[in-house]
Amino acid sequence: MSSTADREIGTTRVVNAPRPLVWSAWTDTKHIEQWWGPNGFTTTTREFNLSPGGKWLFTMHGPDGTDYRNDVTLTAVTEPELIEYDHGPSPVFHVSVRFEEDGLDRTKLSMRMLFPTKSERDRTVEKFGAIEGQLQTLNRLEEYLASRGSL
Amino acid sequence: MQSGTDKLNSTFAALADPTRRAILARLATGEASVQDLAKPFRMSLPAVSKHLKVLEKAKLIRRSRTAQWRPCYLNAEPLKEASDWMEQYRKFWEESFDRLDEYLKVLQAETKKPAKRAKKKNDRK
Repeated sequence: MSSTADREIGTTRVVNAPRPLVWSAWTDTKHIEQWWGPNGFTTTTREFNLSPGGKWLFTMHGPDGTDYRNDVTLTAVTEPELIEYDHGPSPVFHVSVRFEEDGLDRTKLSMRMLFPTKSERDRTVEKFGAIEGQLQTLNRLEEYLASRGSL
Repeated sequence: MQSGTDKLNSTFAALADPTRRAILARLATGEASVQDLAKPFRMSLPAVSKHLKVLEKAKLIRRSRTAQWRPCYLNAEPLKEASDWMEQYRKFWEESFDRLDEYLKVLQAETKKPAKRAKKKNDRK
């Protein structure tokens, strides 16, 4: 855990729905296409195989008409609590989504994104390390610069 | 696209080191010489110069060629690009989760409706 903490981005969200429903919203393409992606994006699924080693290939259509090809390989699927996948094409990062019951009608989603390392044989992308700390630094620098009017 | 990724890689690589981040923070307050930048660290001038070279290569700083003392300046543009890139991911998940939350409400409303209808049918029988 501590060895990866410096190249992780994590986020948690509690949604007002029971876990089986949240699970199906994540694992049925007719549902996924309704919510996946930032505002204004739509998604077209090309292939979907929900099993370890299975592929989820889709294209995201941006509000400006730009298409983004996504290539996901599922690495773990444990209904109804865990999905893990490698999200590409480049750089490939590892994502885990944990589904926990939070009372009867709520579900806590914990999402972790792990950026690639040298062990995945790509020396250049190793340099994404310490991203969260960097983001804070960047934000602070940016705020500072913005306040000085130099950005 | 590829060159954009390379640029980001070199920005993040340059930012991965705490000394280099401190140097950038110092330069955010204004130009400085190598000697000035070395002061807060227990580091030799050549060691600091090495860091400056990495920052210069990543285009995070510029060094004056004209002035004798070759002051360093912050170049904020790659920082903004790196920050935008991170922001994209944050936005992706924040907005997806918002949409998921909304969609789950719709799904729950839908699953309640057919249940009522089914009940009515049974009542008729």
